[in-house]
Amino acid sequence: MTSINMTPQPTGAVGVDHPMQDAVDRVVGSIRFTIDHEVGGMAHARVIRSPFPHARLTGIDVKGALALPGVLAVLTGEDIVGDERIPNPCFGVARRDQWPLAVGKVRYAGDPVALVVADTERHADAAAIAVRVDYDELPYVVDAAEAAREGAPVIHEEWPRNECGSWALHHGDVEEGFAQADRIVESVYTSPSANPVPLEPHVAVAQWNDQLLQVWSSTQWPSIVRRELAHMFGLAEHLVEVRTYPLGGGFGAKGQVKIEPLVASAARIVGVPVRLELDRDEVFLTVAKHPATIRVKSGVKRDGTFVARDMELVYAAGAYAVTSPSGTGNALVRAPGPYRIPNIRITSQAYYTNTVPGGSFRGAFTNQVAFAYESHVDEIASELGMDPMMLRMKNLLRDGDTYATGEAMHDVHFEELVVNVAEGIGWDEAQPPMAPGRLRAKGLAVILKSTPTPSRSEARVEIGGDGHVTVYSSAVDMGQGASSTLAQLAAEFLGVRYADVRVVDPDTSTTPFDTMTAGSRTTFSSGSAIRQACAALIEAIGELGADQLGLSPAELAHDEGHVVAAMDGSHRRSYGEVIVAAGLSSLSREGVFQSESGGAFKDPLDVKGMASIHWHQGAAAVEIEVDIETGRVIVLRCHGASWAGRIVNPTRVRQQNEGNIIFGIGPALFEQLEMESGQVINPNMSDYMIPSILDVPEHMTSTALVSSEADAELHGVGEMTIPAVAPAIANAVFRATGVRIRDLPLTAERVLRGLRSVEGKDR
Amino acid sequence: MTVDDSQDSPVAHMRLSVNGVHRDIEVPDDEALVTSLRKLGFTSVRAACGIGMCGTCTVQVDGMVASSCLLLTRQVSGCELVTSEGLVEDGALSEVQQAFLDHRAYQCSFCIPGMVLTVDACLRSHPSATVSDVREYLSGNLCRCGTYPSILEAVHALVAARTAGGDVR
Repeated sequence: MTSINMTPQPTGAVGVDHPMQDAVDRVVGSIRFTIDHEVGGMAHARVIRSPFPHARLTGIDVKGALALPGVLAVLTGEDIVGDERIPNPCFGVARRDQWPLAVGKVRYAGDPVALVVADTERHADAAAIAVRVDYDELPYVVDAAEAAREGAPVIHEEWPRNECGSWALHHGDVEEGFAQADRIVESVYTSPSANPVPLEPHVAVAQWNDQLLQVWSSTQWPSIVRRELAHMFGLAEHLVEVRTYPLGGGFGAKGQVKIEPLVASAARIVGVPVRLELDRDEVFLTVAKHPATIRVKSGVKRDGTFVARDMELVYAAGAYAVTSPSGTGNALVRAPGPYRIPNIRITSQAYYTNTVPGGSFRGAFTNQVAFAYESHVDEIASELGMDPMMLRMKNLLRDGDTYATGEAMHDVHFEELVVNVAEGIGWDEAQPPMAPGRLRAKGLAVILKSTPTPSRSEARVEIGGDGHVTVYSSAVDMGQGASSTLAQLAAEFLGVRYADVRVVDPDTSTTPFDTMTAGSRTTFSSGSAIRQACAALIEAIGELGADQLGLSPAELAHDEGHVVAAMDGSHRRSYGEVIVAAGLSSLSREGVFQSESGGAFKDPLDVKGMASIHWHQGAAAVEIEVDIETGRVIVLRCHGASWAGRIVNPTRVRQQNEGNIIFGIGPALFEQLEMESGQVINPNMSDYMIPSILDVPEHMTSTALVSSEADAELHGVGEMTIPAVAPAIANAVFRATGVRIRDLPLTAERVLRGLRSVEGKDR
Repeated sequence: MTVDDSQDSPVAHMRLSVNGVHRDIEVPDDEALVTSLRKLGFTSVRAACGIGMCGTCTVQVDGMVASSCLLLTRQVSGCELVTSEGLVEDGALSEVQQAFLDHRAYQCSFCIPGMVLTVDACLRSHPSATVSDVREYLSGNLCRCGTYPSILEAVHALVAARTAGGDVR
């Protein structure tokens, strides 16, 4: 075991504002993304998609397309199903309910139906237009509540009630709680579908060499993509190599398994490497934030004490399960919010719908519930005539409190967060005079988020004979700077310089398993695996070094990448020299982080117990102005805060906290996937806008709260301020105008309608 | 992609000048500039929306910023194009690039070369640009990571240093 003097002194790599390791490439543009990846002789693919939300496929005529220049093949679902080299063509992380190309019927407008493979993109595009598909339209359903009804169109025969996740939680005695209440407040809140809109679209290249499948994909989940592809083709996992470059943004869009099965199937059947890059409209048709309807009923005492809560969460899963069956469970355990509520009943359900498959979206399965419960807290405050901040302070979870899951909460900082964000925008400051035609107010919100539990991260850390360190991890750098953050951690754990550590890009043939780069888990989970690997490495080097220097391990110390005699610092020998002297070219050790299984999720209808290895905590406060002529909401000030525990890189933490606020302004104020006749009608970046620099609040600040303990647990900060943005804005709009908007986004039109109806009541 | 697929549509013979290097090329009449530039290896120019809304395909055409997804290559015959690669001189980053680097004004960085080119053009025409000038200029360059505050800091620092008369490198 590692004795105390075998632990290297920290080098100061952690907590330092190091630039990303590939910063120059990022600024100049020489960084390589998957869109830049080419392999010799690769062909290009174009997807033909269903225009109908639900229809039987009655015929696909590929002859015309096949006759066009450069076309190598036009594939349909039947080609994939009929190929013996693809024994398990269905894929999916929760349910294997998705075909690479539709078989028998299509389940949403956008479902892939056929694939053209041609020598150039131009030829593939030309041929795609020539593919003729006949459909027999079926009744369709786009709304979750309708999908749940008896007699609704059935989307998957195996799931006759369209069920796609069902969870329940009972804590205390809800009826008794409501009986004790002085007031009952009840409201329904909705969030629409949206798209994460990473600027780099989904792109993948697949190449087969006899039995070996190599895939380059812009994915956040390389290990799971490998597992699914191995299953699909009946291969041992080591015959599937999945590689990623840094991503041009992910935000959940590139989670789970997306276009890889289709590209790998095409490369298998056609016999050439195949590349597919989605157009922007196809990105909108590949993944969607789950639309949600959330009913919240609260019982409260006159003094503001929360005594009972009843919640119903209903999500539209879209046409395929993806992660809805488990995601609805995550939503359930996050739904009470960071409050002490002794009596709670919650149900959370998702139903298949004929819409774009639901998937991850920065703050997934937290944004919707947070908008509901944080709007609701302000509604209670208004009902009781209390200050919303004071009402929160009265009910927020404190250390040792029991949460709705029955688990005792520790390392709880919600009160600090609320005070921090309130101060950040001058909550108690007097209102400056408002411009004519403008109404101004402040609002705030505070949230909690579980981290994916259980999950697993493995890492291998290697020191070469030249002393340089290589970290092998399947964590994906998608702009959050995972590689550089993990390099800082490895440098710290080994006591070497940051510049001497390199974290390689994921390549499943050499980088070990990692569940996913999602849920703000990487810094903690992969960091824990790296810490373990580094400790084992230090121990191994210590043993070798002690032996070489003729010392006992206890007589040895570590100093900036060297072993030395503990007594006087003599016998100094670098790690590289120790390794070479031992006759090795390098020395490596592995570390594994495997979180406890989330016991809470054992019985879906009685969720109880540990739901998260630790709880993420965040808050945001805003000051907004409403233009009463147009209804437009302008965010003047915003302060966000998250609990970080310990900061690895201050700039990146700040960029996460503030990037989340900016991201969150989109779905709060204008982002929404619009549907008509079961089709998405705004799948482009003109009709679906994302925040520009003009949407950034003029005064935007953030805080990452840290522990006073030097070795505090690291908390991810990738999503902690986003869920608070929309409810904070909605609460401020109410305080400014008296208009309570319960449906996102808070468009100018909605606010204006609200203003008119308030005026109407006043008259 | 280097496959010659020019036989399918009329071909334009033209001179394409990128970062000071002239190339006489044949290009399909209807090929977008972003496609031609990427084929030639200027991969800092990236397509993300295809309709001129996001700014990731920004190039400078005779000093003015333009979305290369909205231009046909043949339209820029004889023009001087500059991409982010072209701002690097003798291995040294330009002042704007250096400011982005120093202020950590990058996250996933898919949008950054376009941002840099836009800021470069802005500061050429408005050497003492205000924050609001810069915001206006950058309103057509989207960043989903939300790096905008770091970008504004970088530009602000650069303008301040230049205004102070310092020799900024």
